[in-house]
Amino acid sequence: MIHFERFKLENGLTVLFHKDITTPMAVVNVLYDVGARDESEDKTGFAHLFEHLMFGGSINIPDFDAPLQHAGGESNAFTSNDITNYYDVLPSHNLETALWLESDRMLSLAFTPKSLEVQRNVVIEEFKQRYLNQPYGDVWLELRPLAYRVHPYKWATIGKEIKHIEDATMEDVKSFFAKHYNPSNAILCVGGNFELEYVKDVVKKWFGAIPSGSKPARVLEAEPEQKEFREKLIERNVPAAAFYYAFKMPERKNAGYYLADVLSDALGRDKSSRLYASLKKEQKLVSEIGAYITGSLDNGLLIIGGKLNEGVSFNMFDKALWEVLEKLKNEIMDDTELDRLMIKIRTAREFQEQGLLNRAMNLCQFELLGDANGINEEHEIYNSITPKDLQKMAKEILKPTNCSLLKVKSNQNAES
Amino acid sequence: MLNRKKAPELQNIANIDFVKPHVYDITEKCHLFFMNEVPNDTARIDLHFDAGSGLGELGIASFVGGLLFSGTAEKSSIQISNELDALGAFYESNVAHEQAMITVYALKENIVPILRIIKDAVDNISFHEDEVQEMLNDRKQKFRVNMGKVSFLAQRKFQEKLLSGTPYGRIVEEDVYDNVSISALKRFHKENYLNGLTKVVLVGDLAQDEVDEIIDITGAWATDRKQEFATEFKNETGTHEVLKSDAIQSAIRIGRILFNKTHPDFIDFQVLNTILGDYFGSRLMSNIREDKGYTYGIGSMVAELNHSGYFLIATEVAKEVKDATIQEVKYELEKLKEELVAAEELELVKNYMLGQLLKSADGPYSMIDLYMGLEPYDMEMEFYNRSIDSIKSITPERIRELAAKYLDWNDMTVVVAGS
Repeated sequence: MIHFERFKLENGLTVLFHKDITTPMAVVNVLYDVGARDESEDKTGFAHLFEHLMFGGSINIPDFDAPLQHAGGESNAFTSNDITNYYDVLPSHNLETALWLESDRMLSLAFTPKSLEVQRNVVIEEFKQRYLNQPYGDVWLELRPLAYRVHPYKWATIGKEIKHIEDATMEDVKSFFAKHYNPSNAILCVGGNFELEYVKDVVKKWFGAIPSGSKPARVLEAEPEQKEFREKLIERNVPAAAFYYAFKMPERKNAGYYLADVLSDALGRDKSSRLYASLKKEQKLVSEIGAYITGSLDNGLLIIGGKLNEGVSFNMFDKALWEVLEKLKNEIMDDTELDRLMIKIRTAREFQEQGLLNRAMNLCQFELLGDANGINEEHEIYNSITPKDLQKMAKEILKPTNCSLLKVKSNQNAES
Repeated sequence: MLNRKKAPELQNIANIDFVKPHVYDITEKCHLFFMNEVPNDTARIDLHFDAGSGLGELGIASFVGGLLFSGTAEKSSIQISNELDALGAFYESNVAHEQAMITVYALKENIVPILRIIKDAVDNISFHEDEVQEMLNDRKQKFRVNMGKVSFLAQRKFQEKLLSGTPYGRIVEEDVYDNVSISALKRFHKENYLNGLTKVVLVGDLAQDEVDEIIDITGAWATDRKQEFATEFKNETGTHEVLKSDAIQSAIRIGRILFNKTHPDFIDFQVLNTILGDYFGSRLMSNIREDKGYTYGIGSMVAELNHSGYFLIATEVAKEVKDATIQEVKYELEKLKEELVAAEELELVKNYMLGQLLKSADGPYSMIDLYMGLEPYDMEMEFYNRSIDSIKSITPERIRELAAKYLDWNDMTVVVAGS
């Protein structure tokens, strides 16, 4: 059970407090309800570029990191297609330093041209390092537009192309900040060994006077139901052929989300999973294979990905894969397998909840879904899952008309 | 009226409580280190073996490490995976230069049953030809994928030049996956696993009888022999290039042989290293990322070996600026050798390092890792209290002195991989 308190400031900022008496460290986590899905199609990669700019100094404080480091702390952030999340970890007696810094950059940034120019370059190098200069690095740049035709999940967080980042202007930066970075669009969580009254006092002190702004309305075009099997073949300078089967799955708030999650575990989480056991160990078709979900807030993807063994064709593999999927749809899962999946889920959760930072982040994410207490209800949801539910979900999503397949062919040798 | 330009008052870290684990003798020299103050149901066990990649023919240690759960006469590898997963085990085996390790994360009540399965799996590996061949094919494919990464190409060449003349400097080529004798695998397994356990680390709220049982199970593997580590190191200086013609970024590695915790300059060098490249506001990050925008990241570190250690700067930069980056690194090293660090910067780094030390002592899992960082050198937790004093009292002069002593460009091995 993860305890927390919730209060709201008058300017609309939602605040969570999670008390942990065992640690000398404090965590300040700030989630902004903005991600790559909120970008316009001709200016992609912006939410993430903006995350970088949030470290370039704020209205009253020229440098974000130095005062935090001076207080013995450190900070980082990540951007996804759904959210942007900032966190600070520091000795708990210096909590106010983190609140001072986070509140000032929520109030306003410094918007220096130098910061924009440098961070554009840094993000372009990040783009190259992670997506262009690695074998299979560009797979998500190809797979997203194949699986999504309308919804902004069709571009990656890093952006569609480097040019969009090069073209970002100060005007874009300012309007993005004005629209998305205000108290009513944020959730703050403070974790550590404090009293609630103290947390209320210092949070009000630093965040209370920030003008509330308004929570931007999100109107995203829903992705129409997929009705046909989609397939794309690309050829790359890679040593082995690779495949990515992407199945649409329910949105985060739908109970079916958990079913798809467990299905992905059954298919390809561990070495005891169905795909690993059958396609790798028994039939020796692949060198690696796994299944996972993207964890998206809107309709996400269940991905089956891996690499073919030398001499195995995409067709041979495809046939064998669908046999495994058909079995999951046609035969009810036995309890031994379900128990095995559940103990892994429970073990993973216990380890995740070990860390104060994880707890603070997850509380914010559940609050975004509607109620931070969701963090305590999740295991009940998993426990109530039956083999019948799983079979139904398998039938619903694991079908060719719900699937987008990206194949990466090697141009290093002739076969496959 | 709130003055937003003024930072809140800071408090300094007074002291840190460093807690030692309980130590049990499995045999005279093989110990179990146990940290039991875990406030939840999680647990971890590490089994350390004298089975590092410095031993035996090239590749053998890594292959055996990859075959530990590959099946016995009684059980297939899938059966073993099934049994371990049914107990919720997250497990892996790792092979480093000087040791190999099996690590298991699980709920505390499952640790002993998991260990029994592992014991049987490792004791009775059959080295079935199919499993060996599959592992070799997988490794070869992974190797080919890695050879497409500039970071891997640079790291590989750096290892060769840095650790040259020692078993750790041996570099794998693709043909290593083609000529493996099963009898050599079996021999290594017998010598280095069945009679190769050097220590066990256990974290979790386990009962005494469970600890006793773990000692009982692992006892048969324990060895009292003295591990043989490389002792003499000398990096090959100069610049070494690796060509990858289609790369759009170049990977750079710059470093030298240095020392480990046992050296009197070790702690003070950590401060120098932090200033140079070991935090977000470091000189290298400030100059090469935050001022020039040449890279997504650049950093420096100190890594330790049993009888030595090394210093390393690593980055990936746009190919057009690889030479400019090396120039800037050189400039930053020279600056540290010639100019005194400003008081303000030094104070920031001191506070930052103390905060990080507090964090690295937060909770039983972190605490045991701190302790195990000392254990190879027979040092006591007192080392960290001394570290606190050294960090607090170090002067700009001392930092300049260390930079002059250890950061001479002529002592560096430089590797650039790219087009």
